[in-house]
Amino acid sequence: MKPSGAGPSGPHLTVAVPSKRSRLLGARTALGFLAPMLALYAIYYVYAFVFLAKTSTQDVDLSFSDPEQVGGRNFVLVLTDPIFWRAMFNTLLFAGFGILIALTLGFFLAVALSSGIRLRRWFYVIFLMPSLVPLALFATLFSQMLQTDGGAINGFLSALGLGAFQQDWLGNEYSAYAAIFMLLVFLVGIPIMYYTSALSTVSASVLEAAMLDGAKTLQMYRLILFPILRATHKSVILWVLLGSFRAFEIVYFTTAGEPAGRTDITGTYIYGYMFPSIGGGQIGYASAAAVVTLVAAIGVAAINLRFHRSDR
Amino acid sequence: MLVGKVRTRVATVALVACTGFVLAACSSATTSSDAASEAASGGAASTSASTAAADASSEDCAVSADPVTLNYWTWFPAEATLKKSIAEYEGANPGITIELREFEAADWQKQLPLALNGGQDLDVVGVQVSAMTNSAKSGLLPVDQWPGLPAGWQDQINPTMLQQTQDIAEDNVLYSIPLGTIGSAVVYTNQDILTKAGVTAFPSTAAEWLDAVTKVKALGGDILPVAFNGDSWFQNEMFFSVADQIDPFLSDKLYTGELAWDSPEMVQALTAYQDLYNTGVLDTATLSMKNDTPRTEYNSGNAAFLIDGSWSSSVLSADYRTANNIAIGDASAGAFPVAIEGGQPAARTYAEGGLAIPTNSTHQCEASKFIQYMAMGDGVDTWAGDLVLAPSLVGYTVPSTVLTTPAAQEGYQVVQGLLGAPGSGRGSVVTTFTPEVLDVQLLDLARGKIDPAALATELQAQWDSGRYPVQ
Repeated sequence: MKPSGAGPSGPHLTVAVPSKRSRLLGARTALGFLAPMLALYAIYYVYAFVFLAKTSTQDVDLSFSDPEQVGGRNFVLVLTDPIFWRAMFNTLLFAGFGILIALTLGFFLAVALSSGIRLRRWFYVIFLMPSLVPLALFATLFSQMLQTDGGAINGFLSALGLGAFQQDWLGNEYSAYAAIFMLLVFLVGIPIMYYTSALSTVSASVLEAAMLDGAKTLQMYRLILFPILRATHKSVILWVLLGSFRAFEIVYFTTAGEPAGRTDITGTYIYGYMFPSIGGGQIGYASAAAVVTLVAAIGVAAINLRFHRSDR
Repeated sequence: MLVGKVRTRVATVALVACTGFVLAACSSATTSSDAASEAASGGAASTSASTAAADASSEDCAVSADPVTLNYWTWFPAEATLKKSIAEYEGANPGITIELREFEAADWQKQLPLALNGGQDLDVVGVQVSAMTNSAKSGLLPVDQWPGLPAGWQDQINPTMLQQTQDIAEDNVLYSIPLGTIGSAVVYTNQDILTKAGVTAFPSTAAEWLDAVTKVKALGGDILPVAFNGDSWFQNEMFFSVADQIDPFLSDKLYTGELAWDSPEMVQALTAYQDLYNTGVLDTATLSMKNDTPRTEYNSGNAAFLIDGSWSSSVLSADYRTANNIAIGDASAGAFPVAIEGGQPAARTYAEGGLAIPTNSTHQCEASKFIQYMAMGDGVDTWAGDLVLAPSLVGYTVPSTVLTTPAAQEGYQVVQGLLGAPGSGRGSVVTTFTPEVLDVQLLDLARGKIDPAALATELQAQWDSGRYPVQ
């Protein structure tokens, strides 16, 4: 065996390739460590899928007593309910809005704060705080602020002499959307942290070179920093997308689907049938709606996958 | 290559996350399924327990000589009210300790069926008679199998309330003994504000109510003329108080299919309800007040009228107002003013506050004795003074010391009259049509976003969709 770094063509590095036996051993070891978690996940998924598949074809309430087999009826009813499709649209709309805000406002604030502005630590705290407070608490508080009579937002508008802009926030479809959008804007703290972390790795020489070439601030944002942080955008999009599927708390505690279910998302729609304000719920119908949502979510994921492949 | 891997990973994580989201949405149901399986497998045990109890009921059961702790879960009446009754019972029965746990009403409807199916160690549970009997009955011991109930106990309970409690069960079996009855909607007044505004009599029609509201508004300040809960379920209560003015059984007829949701009577009722908002008797701004906010406004002395259920009659008691720091000198109550020409005041009522014994209770004898104390014994005197329920105990009258002013006495008399009058059952037909369709659409109607006739047509179409079975 030749010593590494020596040879007729000059010094070079050699990498030790593990043998097939040692690779097999490594795989077994890894599998051994992963096995307990894989088993837990398998139990969870199999049980949940079997439960959904079973109950979605039944007419059964929360007592789970005397279930009646109804075949595909629940699915037909879900698929023909315009409110369900509205909820599906809203889920995607809120996800899209969240991503838009993160990629624009989040990015801009992160760059601004990274530029050495005074009191920036306080600004970080201010922007991050809403993301750290439990969403249910934050949304409930926000809901009270939206009260038409005695609500802080209308009160503030009135105090500024802008009484004409006071709204019945939850009674109007558009202002109810606006209320949820406002809440999503407040959750921009985490994307800011993502970008701040990524910006710390950007070499100052890149920006210096751009400045020497006469780049304006906006050009530096648009043509240099934004493309450099491409990998971070993907992380942010993923985080916001996942967060939007957890938007249940935001919608449930802010508008509760008002007006007339027009701000419902699939989560609140399913919850409404599972735990209505009166009675034992329609577990079968809610399960069918969950299955349809699951299929739709897999569809969105597949499109995402396809998009990334074509991008490659 | 690395980028490709990252993309694949991103897509995979997104897929897993999406799946997880949906599964998380169903996690409660998963738990429930588990509970259901247990309930199914525990069916035999429940039956044998029931049989044992049935045997015991043929003779007076023997209360354990050892100390016993009864686990009592409920949502109503208020904890402070129940604690008084419990303290007296524990004082008279030194071996008994009662662990009370109170839930918020909507939570309780979800918690009880899951707790019963999950084998929670419970001895006495409160049952919302109309809303919960059918979802909970598989875990409850039928009353005729309770140990230690004296012969002829039924004679002590109002027969209508007892019948309602039995009729609501799909299998027509009595699973709980109702503490009393409640009804909705009722209008409470702050006499201090009304006197100041020059309103001398309780408004009996929508026109008189509008006049009173106008006078209250003329006082200026931050006084809210009419406070009410803006939650969709309470719009339902208010709407049927108007609709049943046409026919006291209109609500029942709609839910049983005797009358169509797009019938002329329904359109008339929807129009009258919308007119209350259009004319300014009720303010759409108040619709954003949820939960306890309107009651808090009223109790703080900031509202002239409060629309609520009969369960808020406590406010008529001067002692209760003092004990709970309610800033109202004198209060009264009345029926929802008539908004239908030629109509009669109405309120839907139903037996409420059912007390039941779970099949897996290990202290059924002690639980039965405690329920007798609460529904037919000295316990009634303790909790009924708070006026949250009109007791089911035959012959019970509110002590004269509770209502101390003529306005309060007259008000409570009206409330009792409404509760005793024949009419529709409040929530006697349970279906998700109510919260998912009717209630939310009533909010749109109140806000003038939909025409009454169009709404009536939409309601009938949804009723016929098959999406909302009667439970």
